[in-house]
Amino acid sequence: MLKMHNLSKLYRTNDIETIALNCINIEIDTGEFVAIMGPSGCGKSTLLNIIGMLDTASEGQYFFNDEDISNHSESQLSQIRKRNIGFIFQSFNLIDELNVSENIELALLYHDMAKKERKDRVAQIMDKVGIAHRAKHMPSQLSGGQQQRVAVARAVVGNQKLILADEPTGNLDSAHGQEVMEMLQGLNSEGTTIVMVTHSPTHSDYARRTINLFDGHVVTENLRATG
Amino acid sequence: MLNNYILIAWRQLFKNKLYTTINMLGLVTGLTVYLFGTLLVDYEENHDAFYKNFERIFTVGTVFSPTANIGVSQDPSIYSGFTPFIKAEVEEIESIARTIHRKFLLTVGDDNYYQDIRFADPALLTIFDLDYIEGNSDALKEPEGVLLSENTARKLFGSTSVIGELITLDHKTTLHVTAVFKNLPRNTHFNSALIGGLEFEVVAPLTALNKAADWDLAGNFNNLSSGNYTYILLPAAKTLSWLQTQMDNIWKKHLNEDHKEFVTGLKVLPLAKANTFIWSMIGLPIMESIKLLAIMVLVIAIVNYTNLATAQSLSRAREVGLRKTMGADKKQLLAQFLIEGLVIAFISMFIAMAILEIIIPLFNNLTEKSLQINYLHTLPWLLATTTIVGLVAGAYPAYMVTRVKPIEALRDAGASGVKGSLFRSVMLGLQFSISIFILATVLIVYFQNKKVQDAGDIYPRSQIITLQRLDVEEIQNKLDSLKNELKKIPGVSHVSYSSDLPYRQGNSSFTAGPVLGNKDLSFLLKQLSVDEDFLSTYEIPLIAGRALSRDYSADIFLKDMLAINVVLNQLAIEKLGYASANEALGKTFYDFPNSREPRAYTIKGVTPTQNFVGFHNANKPMVFYLRPSFFDYASVRVSHQDLSETLVLIEETWDRVITDYPIQTSFLDKVFNDMFRIFDTMMKSLGLFAAVALILSLIGLFGLAAFMAQSRTKEIGIRKVMGANMLQIISLLIIQFSKPVMWALLIALPLAYFASEQYLNFFSDRITMQAVIIAMAGLISILFAWLIVGIHAIRIATANPIKALRYE
Ligand SMILES: Nc1ncnc2c1ncn2[C@@H]1O[C@H](COP(=O)(O)OP(=O)(O)OP(=O)(O)O)[C@@H](O)[C@H]1O
Ligand SMILES: [Mg+2]
Repeated sequence: MLKMHNLSKLYRTNDIETIALNCINIEIDTGEFVAIMGPSGCGKSTLLNIIGMLDTASEGQYFFNDEDISNHSESQLSQIRKRNIGFIFQSFNLIDELNVSENIELALLYHDMAKKERKDRVAQIMDKVGIAHRAKHMPSQLSGGQQQRVAVARAVVGNQKLILADEPTGNLDSAHGQEVMEMLQGLNSEGTTIVMVTHSPTHSDYARRTINLFDGHVVTENLRATG
Repeated sequence: MLNNYILIAWRQLFKNKLYTTINMLGLVTGLTVYLFGTLLVDYEENHDAFYKNFERIFTVGTVFSPTANIGVSQDPSIYSGFTPFIKAEVEEIESIARTIHRKFLLTVGDDNYYQDIRFADPALLTIFDLDYIEGNSDALKEPEGVLLSENTARKLFGSTSVIGELITLDHKTTLHVTAVFKNLPRNTHFNSALIGGLEFEVVAPLTALNKAADWDLAGNFNNLSSGNYTYILLPAAKTLSWLQTQMDNIWKKHLNEDHKEFVTGLKVLPLAKANTFIWSMIGLPIMESIKLLAIMVLVIAIVNYTNLATAQSLSRAREVGLRKTMGADKKQLLAQFLIEGLVIAFISMFIAMAILEIIIPLFNNLTEKSLQINYLHTLPWLLATTTIVGLVAGAYPAYMVTRVKPIEALRDAGASGVKGSLFRSVMLGLQFSISIFILATVLIVYFQNKKVQDAGDIYPRSQIITLQRLDVEEIQNKLDSLKNELKKIPGVSHVSYSSDLPYRQGNSSFTAGPVLGNKDLSFLLKQLSVDEDFLSTYEIPLIAGRALSRDYSADIFLKDMLAINVVLNQLAIEKLGYASANEALGKTFYDFPNSREPRAYTIKGVTPTQNFVGFHNANKPMVFYLRPSFFDYASVRVSHQDLSETLVLIEETWDRVITDYPIQTSFLDKVFNDMFRIFDTMMKSLGLFAAVALILSLIGLFGLAAFMAQSRTKEIGIRKVMGANMLQIISLLIIQFSKPVMWALLIALPLAYFASEQYLNFFSDRITMQAVIIAMAGLISILFAWLIVGIHAIRIATANPIKALRYE
């Protein structure tokens, strides 16, 4: 599904240069569940953002579905992104002024889709993640776990094939964390590719492959035996 | 404690520079405009207060019937014929004095000057206490005496000790100097900048006017001129309303019945009103408008501050939350925010005063006024204004912030972004209502004035040089040879004489009617005495009949003739009851004189109806006749290219033909502009207010949009991650800001329509696109608002969304 070749990312702020990613080479196939791990500041979020096309690499190539997108324009990237990729953030990033169903609908708002169909899809997905009874609540009235479920629903409501999750359980207690992980696992078993950044070894166990980063390098890639 | 607050406020100023700059800029501009407007109105409305009898001096003016059709509703002067009756019948009056302006040629030794002389009853010097350098207040009692101002004495004689020196008027009447007085200060109505040409430089008794120009000392009931005030000094015990009652009686008793239809009353005014009376006279509430506009601009500035401070204070919610958790109580926080408002208001006031100190001398130079800031006198007012501005501006943000609960503030600063947004929208709406209102009215004034100006182009005014003051016998006798000589100058195409000029607000007319002796169908007919070249000089076409000519003896109107030929305009034909111009040819109408046989006027030609006096007056029925030796003006039409060169040749020719009197010339353009000056000044000052108001609103919008955009970066980041493109983000923001502007339109446009109606009613020939122009003002405001919000919107819409989400 995606492939990175000698990809690097350099941050330049005033006089300090930070090499966030250094010559990364990875490949992720459709249907995989990959965890990215590593100490704080090693470049995990940076990598995920580049995968999600929210950020661009300084050097190297990035193939998405065999298409080299390294030199795509902002609007081309935006097109690919909204059809294929869903995001889940540590801090949920729901819009405070919108209620649950409106927050989920937001992901469809920028697709060409009839209103009726949008509503149906939102209702469906809310059932699926078990948040339907809270449809009219505002984010501030929900627990962290519930908010993250809304975020997951929002990430997949547009039938996105790839879900990028940056420490999705970072702000949750272990019970709620577990809940979210199971939900991701369920999605993965239905064919969704998932790339997740996490600090928790328990949660990385849900993934079939773990990429360990250190100081912008891929150190090891562990493949877990299936089953 | 207070020190601490002020220190914090001071630091806060430097913390957010954009915010501080915008706020200060707004408040400084608002305060400057407000202070200046108030000072100006105060100045104009407080002329003459330095005269000892200020409170006891009154003037009497005339009220016209609305059907009089003379362009003004009142005049500050009365017929000179009233005064002898007032003097005889209202014994309680201490003194009464008429004044009459007249221009004369003054001769001192070998030098000639044209000079406006104020002729007056001797009591004038009892009423007004002048500062005498030479002589005293008896100076007017000498029938052939004359008073000079210090300036004029120096100009004419080079010295101020000139008692007994001789001055000759029009080579005929000799006066001797009886007193020299110190120049009057600028802030007296005698030197009014509002009514031009009324200088108080040379003052002579009316007996001198009687000698020099046969002026009847009993006065008359047929001549009114705005500068010819009549002053009354009352004993301290008598009031204005008492005097008004006396004047009502005088009017009833001494004005003849016919005349009362035209002059519907006399109106007593305190001397304080003499300077600004011109505005009541033409019916425009200028002073009130300036006051209102000044306050409006200040309100916009305060709203700016409040809005920005509220928006900004929300980003300080976290700070406030922290302070609260650490034990600060509500009162302390309230005080802190209010003091911040006060500090900014005081600094702004300080800067505004500094700006005024620079502006006022420039303004005084430009307008010949003497505005000044009397600090001792205005200090309490300044302090009060500043305090009120500071408190009002700081109150809402202070209230907003202190209401925030500490946990909310600490937990999620972003969430409080919605709070107070209704208030801000309402404020924004208010601000835009005011700006749109001002902009719309200014555009209306502009287009109406432009229409008047363009309409003035029916006459070739830029090609005409006028020669003035030909009404002296010596000149009248030489008019034919003067014309012949002038015509020889290359570049001169026409020369014509007339009793009046286009655009001058002369009002010479008589009552005319189609039936001899029957006044029922009569109407006021404006009369103009012209020579045979007048119509061609001014390109006035004939729609029927012929022009007047010296070839027909009945065309030439000599004294005592009882049947003459005339040319009328179309409107006069209609008033006489003729269906067409051709039908009217050869027909006769009559006048209704008091003391001689009626005269028969036969219609020989008809011109279209044109507005001879300028377009703020209604069209009038007009008659042109050829009346030699009744000419005050010559119009010399010159080809464009060498106007000034031709002028030199004209002057040379004049000097050759007319040796005793110097030439007085003026471009017809200038006559027009003088007439138009009031509207022009008004438009410019209104335009200034509008620009300031609009810019302030836009600055406010700019600041607010910046803050709103900032507080929505997270939301916009999310939307972008979800796939919203730039256009969608921009329109989202623009729509949000458009709502208050739309509300503002709904409020401002009808009000602007109503206000412009008041102004347009003043003109007979109104612009027709009033509604379109007002809508245009609305559109301009919206476009500006969109532009400004758009700039911010583009900025955040192009930002990388991850930045917004990262630092949550
Ligand atoms: N916008 C930026 N400008 C400059 N440096 C940056 C920027 N974003 C990230 N960095 C730097 O790049 C490096 C990698 O950051 P990244 O956010 O990817 O770390 P991370 O692995 O996600 O850490 P954590 O586990 O704490 O979230 C860090 O050293 C960080 O300081
Ligand atoms: Mg990270």
